[in-house]
Amino acid sequence: MKLKVFRYHEGMSAPHYDTFSLEEEPSMTVLRALFQFQEQFDDSLAFQYSCRGSVCGACAMLINKVPRLACRTQVASLLKGEQQIALSPYPALEEKVGWDPSQEVLVEPLPHFPVVKDLIVDRNAFFKSYKFMEPVIKPESIPPKENLMDPSDLPDLELYTNCILCAACYGACPVDGENKDYLGPAALAKLYRFHIDPRDADNRRLEKADINNGWWACDFHGNCRQVCPKGVPPIMAIGQAQAELMEKKEKSEDKK
Amino acid sequence: MDIKPLEKEKIPYSELEELEKECPSQEKEKKNGISSLDDEKEIISKNILSNIHQYDVIIIGGGLTGLRAALQVSDAQLKVAIISKVHPLRSHSVAAQGGMNASLANVPGENETVDNWKIHAYDTVKGSDYLADQDAVEIMCREAPSTVIELEHMGTAWSRLENGKIAQRPFGGAGFPRTCYAADRTGHNALHTLYEQVISRDIPIYEDFFVTSLVTENEYCVGCTALEILTGKIHGFLASAVLMATGGFGRLFNSSTNALINTGDGQSLALNAGVSLKDMEFVQFHPTTLYGTNILITEGARGEGGILINKNGERFMGNYAPNSLDLAPRDVVARAIDTEIAEGRGFKGGYVHLDLRHLGEELIKERLPGIRQISIDFAGVDPINEPIPIQPGQHYSMGGIDADKDGKTSLKGFYAAGECACISVHGANRLGGNSLLETVVFGRMVGDAIIEEISKGSCKEQNNLETVQKAITEIDSKLKIILSRNTSENQFKIKESLNNTMSSKFGIFRDRVVMEKGILEIEEIKKKLSQIKIDNKKLALNQAIIRFLELEYLVQLAETVAFAAMKREESRGSHTRTDYPSRDDKKFLKHTITSLQNKKISVSYKPVVLGMFKPQERVY
Repeated sequence: MKLKVFRYHEGMSAPHYDTFSLEEEPSMTVLRALFQFQEQFDDSLAFQYSCRGSVCGACAMLINKVPRLACRTQVASLLKGEQQIALSPYPALEEKVGWDPSQEVLVEPLPHFPVVKDLIVDRNAFFKSYKFMEPVIKPESIPPKENLMDPSDLPDLELYTNCILCAACYGACPVDGENKDYLGPAALAKLYRFHIDPRDADNRRLEKADINNGWWACDFHGNCRQVCPKGVPPIMAIGQAQAELMEKKEKSEDKK
Repeated sequence: MDIKPLEKEKIPYSELEELEKECPSQEKEKKNGISSLDDEKEIISKNILSNIHQYDVIIIGGGLTGLRAALQVSDAQLKVAIISKVHPLRSHSVAAQGGMNASLANVPGENETVDNWKIHAYDTVKGSDYLADQDAVEIMCREAPSTVIELEHMGTAWSRLENGKIAQRPFGGAGFPRTCYAADRTGHNALHTLYEQVISRDIPIYEDFFVTSLVTENEYCVGCTALEILTGKIHGFLASAVLMATGGFGRLFNSSTNALINTGDGQSLALNAGVSLKDMEFVQFHPTTLYGTNILITEGARGEGGILINKNGERFMGNYAPNSLDLAPRDVVARAIDTEIAEGRGFKGGYVHLDLRHLGEELIKERLPGIRQISIDFAGVDPINEPIPIQPGQHYSMGGIDADKDGKTSLKGFYAAGECACISVHGANRLGGNSLLETVVFGRMVGDAIIEEISKGSCKEQNNLETVQKAITEIDSKLKIILSRNTSENQFKIKESLNNTMSSKFGIFRDRVVMEKGILEIEEIKKKLSQIKIDNKKLALNQAIIRFLELEYLVQLAETVAFAAMKREESRGSHTRTDYPSRDDKKFLKHTITSLQNKKISVSYKPVVLGMFKPQERVY
């Protein structure tokens, strides 16, 4: 079993790939494999990590041409050909380097972001979109005790509060690849999360992304939902938001 | 692939503007300070100025404590910045699962009894094996309900009861269903909520900055230095108050639930700045971590009715805690599991089963979806159909920076809160659900204490440029020396042996003979630190050097844990001495203080703050 890793740092004329033979470990994840690479082969390899339990979102990268969390992805099952996800194609998925999926795991940085070094990308654009959404609750008033909330409102809300902002969806979205100004699936899902929160008093949330590069830029490829390690479906939020906005517009046309 | 050169300046504020900022309470003196800076500008090159940042308050760590404190001081119109070695959302707080304790009394106890903060305090003090400071416990438990509600108002998606109120579940060592939860993703929900609040206030965050030293002058903490990981540049931060909120040191052990970043940076930085650590021997081992990877399986799983089963199919907790059974406190359950395994009733490889199957698919999917996913992803087991293989693993550091209930330490201007601190609400054993609570309560309270101190005008002279420049130079040359070494020791092997030593010699069961060996091993490891070779010679984005600095921090903490554990000749809470199996209140109802004196760790003691609850035998 081998790890084929994308390498780049500032000053290099072009990126290259390093291949490293892995020493087998029981239930080895790609993150463990990267540590093995760093510890035994080249201590200059750079990658982000923190929780190693698929809750923090630090280690999203392109693994076997699918954006995934390195800590959640098992090497053995990749080599067996499991965990395949058929994504709607986009340029980053094109094969730039030969690799043998039965022998090698191919690890590359998350697409659609500038590469800082090796597997580390600059997620600034991602968090800029997030911030643009004003992702904070805007309550009408603050009650002395907790707001009461119908437990049946929770499953829908949790679908979106489960987002860990790892940016895998951003790296999987063909539209993000073409249009740098597209706000992207995670930020839109975050906006929708506040829109459906019964405690939120801002009834113009959806309008925030009622722009060319917002809800309307989505082409409904659905890659976002497929790669999300937490099962968040931005595509659903976008579809719902578009429908609600159209309905709102129709209503206001009718009034005129 | 889109490749762009690294953006050079990602600093949120103009540094020159920062140097012009003024401390509200001491405008005049400050102005004098600034003008003298202006006079000095010829000797201070622009290059250095761009490395030095000035705030009223610097918070090191972007987890729940750090973010909550930042909100507090920011709302008081103080200029605050957060420094963190990772993006705040990657902080270990995000991994907390089960919940946050508060006597909201939304769910009645047995026979319709009603919970209140005093019972919460009693459970906490009993859980702590009477080592917690009762004044601090009182604050935490009194403030708990308003803290949970405050998070709710800020947007946390708490799970709900049918009547719409915040849901609460039973947890270990608690007399009531007191643990408020957001499914089994409570930390995630709370951390994202506080991050949203921080972002909405535009509080600057120095992300990917690794703090390298605290800067002190005239027995006052005036700031810190930090390595900007992306560029390799050393920065200096000046502030009237520095709050340490960096979390625990779980990565001292080789089987830990902690994030890989939990390397005790804050405790070690404090120790090196002359601040003492408290109760370092008290390390919590969580009973249920996933076999192999040691990822946490929440106590909430047992709170919801999950049971522990040994190889023979026996529900064994009745032999150890006849009343509380599987919901006894963590120290009790972890010892029980280790005993089962040691006596041959565990499964091959060293684990037992946590069985949730009788809870049913619906409840598991609704209340424990995260641990179901973890079990599937990391152990290939779906708890709906199969029991989860679990073993105890390091989970929490009860000890930490010696701080009082205001987060104040012996060093003026330096505060600590959250897991890196020992305000001492957990004593010798923390109850599940009390750590999330501690982070948010004391994030706010210590924020208040800092505001008060600054408004009293105890802001010191801000002309500490020279001191911080000197500190920057020191770190710069230290790093250069490390990189220039042509020695041969491999840091990753040394880290592994440190982890093995700590887990095998200072784990759940301890005794003198084994610990003596452990101390010798730590000494050997310490000697090798200066022989470590790092191949990557560039300072920019060099993870090997970050890991080396973390290892240095850990080795230092290993000594404090070891010496404190060796000297505490009794068993209390998580500290179990097979050679001293009983609690000894006469000799050891006191906090262990470890400090650095002449580069050596020395151990002393200080009294516990008792109060409402007199020490009693601890039976569950």
